Amino acid sequence: MSTPELVTVTVDDREIRIPKGTGLIETALACGVEIPVFCYEPRLGAPVGACRMCLCEVEGMPKLQAACTMTAQDALVLRTAQTSEKAAEGQRAILEFILLNHPLDCPDCDKGGECPLQDLTFRWGPGNTRMHFPKRTFDKPIPISPVISLDRERCILCYRCTRFSEGVAEDMQLVARNRGAQSIIATFEDEPYRAHFSGNVTELCPVGALLPATYRFRARPWEIDNVPTVCGLCPVGCNVWATTREGKVARILSRNHPEVDDGWLCDKGRFTFDHLRADDRIKQPLKRVRRRGFDPVAWEEAAEEAARGLGEAEGSVVVAFSGGETNEQAGALARLARQGLGSNAAIVPDDLDPAVDGFRAPLAAIRDAEVCVVLGDEPVVDRAPVVDLWLRAARRAGADVITIHPAGSIGVSPGSAAHVARSLAEPGTAPPEFRELADQLRDTQRVALVWSGDDHDRGRRAAALAAALGLGEGSGLYVLPRTPNGRGVSSAWRAAGEGRGEEPPEDGEIGALIVSGDEAGYDPRVARLSERARFVLTTAMFMGDHTLWSHLVLPGTSYLERDGTVVNLEGRAQRQRRAVDPPFPDELEFFAEVGERLGLPVSPRPDEPSPALQAELPPRSRPGALSEPAPPPSPNGTGPGLELVTYRSLFSGPGVERVEPLAFQRPRAELELSFADADDRGISTGDAVLVVGADGVGRELTARVNRRLRAGVVRVADEHADGFARHVEVGKV
Amino acid sequence: MAKGPRQLLLEHADERDLTKLSEYEAVGGYESLRKALDMEPGAIVEELLASNIRGRGGAGFPMGRKASFLPKPDQATKPIYLTVNADESEPGTFKDREIMFRVPHALIEGAVITCYAIGAETAFIYLRGEYYTEFEIMRAALEEAQKAGYVGAAVAGSGASVTIVIHRGAGAYICGEETALLESLEGKRGQPRSKPPFPAISGVYASPTLINNVETVATVPDIIELGGAEYAKLGVENSAGTRVFSLSGNVVRGGNYELELGTPLRSLIYDIGGGIPDGRELKAVIPGGSSVPVLAANEVDAPLDFDSMANLGTFLGSGAVIVIDDRACMVQLGLRVAQFYMHESCGKCTPCREGTRWMVQILKKLEEGRAEQGELDLLLNVCDRILGNCLCPLGDAAAMPVASYVAKFRDEYQRHIEEGGCPFGAESSLAGVMAPVDQHHAHMRSQIEVPVHEFA
Repeated sequence: MSTPELVTVTVDDREIRIPKGTGLIETALACGVEIPVFCYEPRLGAPVGACRMCLCEVEGMPKLQAACTMTAQDALVLRTAQTSEKAAEGQRAILEFILLNHPLDCPDCDKGGECPLQDLTFRWGPGNTRMHFPKRTFDKPIPISPVISLDRERCILCYRCTRFSEGVAEDMQLVARNRGAQSIIATFEDEPYRAHFSGNVTELCPVGALLPATYRFRARPWEIDNVPTVCGLCPVGCNVWATTREGKVARILSRNHPEVDDGWLCDKGRFTFDHLRADDRIKQPLKRVRRRGFDPVAWEEAAEEAARGLGEAEGSVVVAFSGGETNEQAGALARLARQGLGSNAAIVPDDLDPAVDGFRAPLAAIRDAEVCVVLGDEPVVDRAPVVDLWLRAARRAGADVITIHPAGSIGVSPGSAAHVARSLAEPGTAPPEFRELADQLRDTQRVALVWSGDDHDRGRRAAALAAALGLGEGSGLYVLPRTPNGRGVSSAWRAAGEGRGEEPPEDGEIGALIVSGDEAGYDPRVARLSERARFVLTTAMFMGDHTLWSHLVLPGTSYLERDGTVVNLEGRAQRQRRAVDPPFPDELEFFAEVGERLGLPVSPRPDEPSPALQAELPPRSRPGALSEPAPPPSPNGTGPGLELVTYRSLFSGPGVERVEPLAFQRPRAELELSFADADDRGISTGDAVLVVGADGVGRELTARVNRRLRAGVVRVADEHADGFARHVEVGKV
Repeated sequence: MAKGPRQLLLEHADERDLTKLSEYEAVGGYESLRKALDMEPGAIVEELLASNIRGRGGAGFPMGRKASFLPKPDQATKPIYLTVNADESEPGTFKDREIMFRVPHALIEGAVITCYAIGAETAFIYLRGEYYTEFEIMRAALEEAQKAGYVGAAVAGSGASVTIVIHRGAGAYICGEETALLESLEGKRGQPRSKPPFPAISGVYASPTLINNVETVATVPDIIELGGAEYAKLGVENSAGTRVFSLSGNVVRGGNYELELGTPLRSLIYDIGGGIPDGRELKAVIPGGSSVPVLAANEVDAPLDFDSMANLGTFLGSGAVIVIDDRACMVQLGLRVAQFYMHESCGKCTPCREGTRWMVQILKKLEEGRAEQGELDLLLNVCDRILGNCLCPLGDAAAMPVASYVAKFRDEYQRHIEEGGCPFGAESSLAGVMAPVDQHHAHMRSQIEVPVHEFA
């Protein structure tokens, strides 16, 4: 990139040399002058100049100008309210107008104390009001969704929320209705605001108009602590503040990391914390005493029992990881198993080939890419939500975003990602559309390659494709792990022994199985292993099918209760801080106890991470010799009926299921089908359809016609696809 | 030089039905188009510059200069568009309606010539939604022009191609503001954009766009026919040509009159309009539509041109001359005007949205005789705080006239306070046209149905 041209701008008699085109708000800030703003928010796209709070005097212009809409030009002379009486009067006028119909109910407004309107009023506002007429009133609060309430009287119509909905998340659900003094914010057609990123509007709102319903009347700013941590619910690793009050998590806010999340947070990350206090949370060790019964036992006894069960396994131990553990937890478990118990077998959910680190780049590089290619059957927004926002930002910036999956811009059959990757890497014999795309990618300097699926050996395949395309600086490869810290867990496992170790034995009895966390318990492979294990030790937050076959169940913790480090999908190590204390010793402490009994020292606390940890993405690893990935598996065999592709919805999992306000976000019992297939069967959106698998299992779902879906393919969220085979018959009820 | 009726635009419109293509052609219609197609596009823009024609919509910006801000067609990376602002909604203004009613082909011909001059292949006519009859007339005329080959591919046998799209608005005054018009045209909520970028650089669909008023565009054929230099000789310095004035209010013969610019206001009201009816006295005149400051009776000798009006602290605006006689209460007038702008404020920027409502509240209290002395100063200060602080001119359009009513008729405002009521009462000629504020609010409230979500 060329060096930007510097221009000289004068702000309140202070001269500054600054790149041409810098916004005047930022220019003034660089001079040490704060210009107050409400509607201005650079992350929402072009400035709108609606609130007028930033009125300033610009030499040579007769009228006051909205500084937010202007940029640094050479010889521009700006006078803010600090030195211009005219600008100060303009600002006083605007603040008076903003407050005119505002209810001034700060004492019982949840925003009070952390409210930009309150702050700016204290600094620039009038001490009295000249408004002696009845203020505008609206019914309030309006629940625009179960997690957001809207107070239209407090709203100052800065349009930040509608701009977010329209220009960032692109869900188009928030709109302004009516006009003039009767303008209101509303959801389109008054439908609930059901979108992956809806909660961000509560943070963008500069007043107490849009508030998280889950935080209403829960806390005041002077009695809370904001703990900086990293979300542990998906592999993006968004930086967050966990707001706690009296030892309980009360809310989660984004904490802008410009390379990772740009200050956005998905609704799962924002609202999933009440499960920490769910009624069915396991709070003490449980030991199986009957065929299907557990008795609580003391921690001492649990540690004894664990040491006994693991010791008696005589090396035949399998560890099943969730991928949500911290690096330290995973490391302790891995050392316990590999060094202490002499085992080498594990189920590691995201064992990506380290070759992907040869093409690592910050997530923010997606926004600057010229071409983005998304491969794989799992919707990006459900697997790593913020990546979807980066892709949208890229598209708005003019990038070509090519999605290759059953509902993509290039429609392919389910499970074809590996084939497509090979076609792009070796386009010689590929179909023409892939040859053209491969040519385009080779000719493009900045490419973002995103792989969102569980295809076998995808790390190596993706790295091979990146190498074949010659992805250099400015480009990036993003293989989305299935689990939040899958990359950290697999590194920890590898580091504790010789490489990736062994796959669990295919048959025969095993001595002990350690199931680490609820997510591991949901893995069908783990369920099968448990049937063959003499001793099953499970750590879990909640009882479920998976805990029933355990011999010893230990209470598990949430990421909000842990100290440690995690590695996100970029390969960036970040620090999680304990926001609230777990009501019992955490996993690390317990495994230290067990380790002591087995004669293996395990530290009960994570080491203090290095201070540089969160700042930098490690440099790319040197690309080593890349072994040829195995030939891609043949695509799913054809069968009668329609091919079923399932996906894991963002709003699923044991945590979300226990957060009542998020129930409306859970995936609907819906079958997506292509226009052609719907047309053939006379089905339209909203119809009840019967879905029958090859094994005769039938289930009624609601049809939704997805015009982007490839003909011959139907799509259902995992939790509604139980018992379906690869191919299904679909008919109208 | 005595100025008076000089018809260019509405010439022959009294004798013939110029909505018919054959009639329009019979009086030389579409000859200017043929002449223009023989010229270089750049030369047409030169003629527009030479004509000194200023925009007829209200702001009075020179049309030729506006056109010259557009990128040259060979340098443009996106298509260039012409957009004709036919969203005539300023109270008192009904001249574009007359033009579309009676000489629709002049607008079409002007649009085609302008497109050719600026290298545009598409013109949008953004037509006020309430103008349904005008829409029907324009549509019929456009169809005739298309059939005759004046619009479409290969205009009049030349290599130029021009498509005209008539887009009906949905009833918002704000969409007469050029950038709000563009938003609405794109299918969005009609709210002004922040400028820059100006439409000439990034207008409709982020492409270079020339936006001109109906009357401006419809005058283009006359300019081509006369030649720019000849046209510039009409009118007075800085105000070239003729304008169609909409005369209304307390005057005997209201209507649209095409006059040379520089015609004295008195001559329009008395000689042409027949003076004040019922033997009443002239009290005030609004010279350019409801958004401009008022003139007192002793100021009507001024000529109707841009500079003379500016010297009196007002504007020629949209050319709507509203005559007010001595029966009208100026507080009621202020309230009525403020009500209009409150109702039409789009709600985007703070001072206009909040300020216009506050103005109405204060004016209503004044009119009802409940106001205290300080509230008159408050009203002026509110106007002052709106003025110049808004995103678009709508806020100014409310603040400027109301402030001028107080400035020029302060006694009357004072009497409302001192006498505790309106000295005119029901006798005021405006009493019947007031929008009942409370009813208006009740109506607006009834539009807002509060959703009650059931989250089962």
